[in-house]
Amino acid sequence: MARKAKRDLTMEEQLARGPIDLPFLMLVLLLTGIGLIMMFSASYASAYYDSSVSTPLFYIRRQSEYALLGLFVMFAVSRFNYQYLRALVIPMLAVSIFLLVLVLTPLGVEINDAQRWLKLLIVAGPTYQPSEIAKVAVVLFFAARLSKRDTEHIKRFSKRSWLGRRLNWLQKIGFLELVPYGVVLLAVLGLVVLEPHMSGTILIMVGAASVLFVAGIHLGWFFGVGSLAVAAVVFIIRSKPYMLSRVELWLNPWKDPTDKGFQTIQSLLAIGSGGLLGRGLGKSIQKILYIPEPENDFVFAIVVEELGFLGAGLVLLLFSMLILRGYWLALHARDKFGTLTVVGLITLLAVQVFLNIGVVTNLIPNTGISLPFFSFGGTALIIHLAEMGVILSVSRQIPAARKD
Amino acid sequence: MRESDRKPLRTANQNRSRRRTPARGTARRTPPERSQNRRPPARNTSRASPSRRPEPDRVYRPPQWEQRPSGRSRHRFVQDGGVRGTNSKRAVFWRTLTLMIVCGALFFVPLFWKLWDIAILHHEDYQRQATGQQTLDLSVRASRGNIYDRSGNVLAMSATVYRLILSPRDLAKDLAPDSAFTDEDGKLDKTAQEAALAQAQDKLIQDLMTLLPDLDREKLETSVHATQYAYRELKTGIEEEEADRIRPYIVEHETSHYLYLLADTKRYYPYASLAAQTLGFVNANGGAVGIEAAYDDVLEGTAGRVLTTKTGAGTQLYNNYSEYIDAINGYDLHLTIDATIQAYAERTLEKGIEAYDVQNGAFCLVANPNTGAILAIASSPDFDPNHYSEVINQQLLAEMDSKANDIYQKLQNNNPENLTQEELLKKAQSQAYSNAVNTQWRSKAIDSRYEPGSTFKALVLAAALEENLVTESDTFSCSGSVTVPGYPKAINCSKRSGHGLQDLTKAVGNSCNPAFIEIGKRLGIDTFYDYLEAFGLTEKTGIDLPGEASVTGAIWPRDKMNNVDLAVGSFGQRLEVTPLQMISAFSAVINGGNLMQPYVVQSISTKDGTVVKNTEPTVVRQVISKETSRRATDILEKVVSEGTGGNAYQAGYRIGGKTGSSQTRETDRTIVSFMGFAPADDPQVIVLLAYDKPQPVEPNSNYIANGTYISGGMMAARQAGPLIADILDYLGVEKKYSSGESAAVDVSTPNVKGQTVQDAGDTLADKNLKYRTVGEGDAVTNQIPAAGSSVPGGSTVVLYLGSAVPEKTGTVPNVVGLTYDNARKKLEEAGFFMRASGVSDYYGNSTTAESQTIPGGTETSIGTVVGVQFFNVVQDGAVDVR
Repeated sequence: MARKAKRDLTMEEQLARGPIDLPFLMLVLLLTGIGLIMMFSASYASAYYDSSVSTPLFYIRRQSEYALLGLFVMFAVSRFNYQYLRALVIPMLAVSIFLLVLVLTPLGVEINDAQRWLKLLIVAGPTYQPSEIAKVAVVLFFAARLSKRDTEHIKRFSKRSWLGRRLNWLQKIGFLELVPYGVVLLAVLGLVVLEPHMSGTILIMVGAASVLFVAGIHLGWFFGVGSLAVAAVVFIIRSKPYMLSRVELWLNPWKDPTDKGFQTIQSLLAIGSGGLLGRGLGKSIQKILYIPEPENDFVFAIVVEELGFLGAGLVLLLFSMLILRGYWLALHARDKFGTLTVVGLITLLAVQVFLNIGVVTNLIPNTGISLPFFSFGGTALIIHLAEMGVILSVSRQIPAARKD
Repeated sequence: MRESDRKPLRTANQNRSRRRTPARGTARRTPPERSQNRRPPARNTSRASPSRRPEPDRVYRPPQWEQRPSGRSRHRFVQDGGVRGTNSKRAVFWRTLTLMIVCGALFFVPLFWKLWDIAILHHEDYQRQATGQQTLDLSVRASRGNIYDRSGNVLAMSATVYRLILSPRDLAKDLAPDSAFTDEDGKLDKTAQEAALAQAQDKLIQDLMTLLPDLDREKLETSVHATQYAYRELKTGIEEEEADRIRPYIVEHETSHYLYLLADTKRYYPYASLAAQTLGFVNANGGAVGIEAAYDDVLEGTAGRVLTTKTGAGTQLYNNYSEYIDAINGYDLHLTIDATIQAYAERTLEKGIEAYDVQNGAFCLVANPNTGAILAIASSPDFDPNHYSEVINQQLLAEMDSKANDIYQKLQNNNPENLTQEELLKKAQSQAYSNAVNTQWRSKAIDSRYEPGSTFKALVLAAALEENLVTESDTFSCSGSVTVPGYPKAINCSKRSGHGLQDLTKAVGNSCNPAFIEIGKRLGIDTFYDYLEAFGLTEKTGIDLPGEASVTGAIWPRDKMNNVDLAVGSFGQRLEVTPLQMISAFSAVINGGNLMQPYVVQSISTKDGTVVKNTEPTVVRQVISKETSRRATDILEKVVSEGTGGNAYQAGYRIGGKTGSSQTRETDRTIVSFMGFAPADDPQVIVLLAYDKPQPVEPNSNYIANGTYISGGMMAARQAGPLIADILDYLGVEKKYSSGESAAVDVSTPNVKGQTVQDAGDTLADKNLKYRTVGEGDAVTNQIPAAGSSVPGGSTVVLYLGSAVPEKTGTVPNVVGLTYDNARKKLEEAGFFMRASGVSDYYGNSTTAESQTIPGGTETSIGTVVGVQFFNVVQDGAVDVR
């Protein structure tokens, strides 16, 4: 398709060709680069000592390929006018729910008693987690629907009927408008919980909540649902002894240093032996069969061990800047859809970073969340970069500052 | 209904289009908030909140659903409540800002705090823990030093051996992994997996049996099939040669993950049981017995260390974090023990034990009297330090069985734990076994005490000579017994009929008890005790071997010693010494008067031969003067040449010594001993040989089954003589014959054929030969033995005259039991010659032939020299002083 001349473009199209946000792009590229290097360093030893892996470069090769592919995807997505997503969210949601159902069928791949993966071509190909897609689909769906909230027509019901009065009351407290979100959220969460996939559940909930929050849903709902959730968590911890022992292990991993507390302790030893400046890039010892799967969730511990407090702090700073810039873009988005989309995606990222590093530093109990851009996992990386692409796409349509 | 439903909707649409008018045209699909978004973003965030700026579009309106449009039909259930309005603008801003602050900044506060806490505040603590788990502290075994004998023969050495280890679990995991038998659906084909495993196991068993045919197949199969275990020792003590055969197999079949060799060191004792108790052995904790224990820290060296980083799996990581501390190899020991002399000593023990039906073992010490260097320490029963936990001595094995039975009987009578018969038997056997191994590991010469008996008289003699209380010309009268005040019965002499009047030399030679009771009396308790102390009998010798017996309770304390003690002590009873103390004290008597500290380690050197420490002979004290020593030595030499030690005589060597027969507290247990030294004029070697409990033929008998009288002179001296001769031969001490001896030395017969009888007689006389003639005539036509034959001096050559022709062969007569002269006569008459051995040229009527080299009745050629072993019947048995 021939490229149209600028004068032939509609204003809409002109906007979609605006410049992408360079600071954000730079931060994404930096983190992807550093992430690859650190993942390489962390994975080298475990690949070297793994007899089922042919080369120590096994992980980095795959991750680099996916990173390249991911960057291409990000570029493509950033060129895509996100306004079209408004129309795409329903099919996206439908597909992801379909995939979530599919993952529960024998077609799903089971690893460590959790059936979370699907093969790309259903019967073959690399595996991926449909919940990753569902996460994005839910956020986009919520953003698309909530962006119309202000102009949404409110239904009122007959005061004469008893039902009508009850419905009116529900409408008044804002319950009725939440029903469709609740239905979608519960459906998706239900499917994810069945896998089971706790971290996925948490992230989808957080992503959805952030969009709802920014869209202006009454704070009371958050307090209400929040306190319910806290009560539920407390109840589960109280009633299930293994949950209790998990909490105890979190408070004192040395209770079971060789088994359940092992990973946490090894992570703490890695971080602790990093000190201010670290052992130096590539010189981690804890990665050599001490921390289980250092290329996955605990890659940050290796970052601290090798680069020290300063290096790891720098990585945290980059993440912080990326997140802040993301919200800045949300604040300046051209429309409410853009705002909500960016808020949802960037909150997902922020919470993921927080939860991962929180686990690695034993700030919170182990949840099994990977670190974006750092942890090994090709499809996850591609999806993350695609999300960044969406944010960049939104950034394109930010109107330029008026030159007075 | 439908119609009316749409109406308010339409109104809403109109309402909406009215609101959208400012953004007409190009922004058809733009949501209403777009107009706000077009404002400069910078102002939006940095300055005042957008809601505060009055803008026509953004005037606050109450939510539309509050303003109910009037005139609505009452029957409609669902009505349009209007749109939600635009006030959410502010909320979006503030809430996004809130999230921005929370997620972009606040989230990072606890993360930074945690990182700071772990990486900076607790850095050292975690660092230490991490280093602790990451450091591989490998100990590098130091090579244990070798032990050499006096002439450099290796008595003990260390070598690397290997253990072949199998991990049956990993074998199963490697050769029949789950993954290989899992289909696409994750179903495990158990049958196929088990079949593959069984095949792999069978192949391994087959291969190993081919490789190591001496493996026990049944045991191997059990090990291979024990798939729940990760460590099974298939074979231990694999030597380098065999390991070289196994290694290629491991490499070729890539079995190192489940079948591998582990290095180990093993101690080798090339001479097997030689000097076993002296050398000791090494167990898992290091040197356990003997020199291995006494010099453990010298031999073992210092283990080195490799401090290196390890992986989480525990394997070594080769990197520059490693720190190597070299192992310091153990020092080598060079002993004063001589393997050859030790072998002589052990052989002598064995011979005597067999000959005299000895029940309680035996010991033999050989030393250099001038330095205290121990040349041999033999103790029977012994063991093989290569297999130190095995009992090899037949006597000990038999005893073990009978003891086990005894213990079993005892346990049956006293069984508080209610063990089954089988358990009791097992317990009894294990007790008997542990007694037996403890017995065989003991060196009797060092860690046991005995009553020295008459050998002790040498010390009393030396003391009395030194104190000038006796002289060689003193005479002592012996009636066969003597009464001592305080002792209820008379104390006998070993010769019950008494020795009559005798001078000092004779008294010692006869080992006369009454004479020594008299000498002891002359010494008195105090002086006697002074000499006990001076000869080192009240203290340990301080030899560099472990386990020297304690002296506590061995000898009465000085203030408790009474006349009876003095009397019986004078002939070495009722006081206990270790054989080592005894040989040291005796050495002092003959070496010029110096008590030497005995030692077995001559020097300590590094592997490359640098001597680290050399033992110089240490004089503990001078006990008697040189002159006294010489006088005592002369007297003691006569014990062998003329007295009770006569059976130790060896022609050409001037052997001195003293016999001993010690009564013990046990009935029918006599320890017969002989302390001998040679050459008497310059003692080079001193030997203490003792047999513990030759079995009497019946209770209270003084004879053993073959009729030999139980005494030091009849048993120990007879074995010690050849031993001393062998040792002197080995040491290269030249034989010096006395005139009498040289007369009996072999001569080569001259050729006298064709000479006249007269001339032949002269020629033969020159050679110290006699002759007799057979036949008639002047000229010698033949001679026996033929010219050039070797016959003992003094033999009678047979000359044949005229036509007389010698017989070709003759029958050797039996001479056993005959005296010297009779035996010789009988042999020569039969045309044979006699070479006597065993006793000195002082042949009394008590000298009888013990054996002959060619048994009587044998047909052999005329002129053959028949060796005849003589012995003296001496009366030096133990006396009862209990």
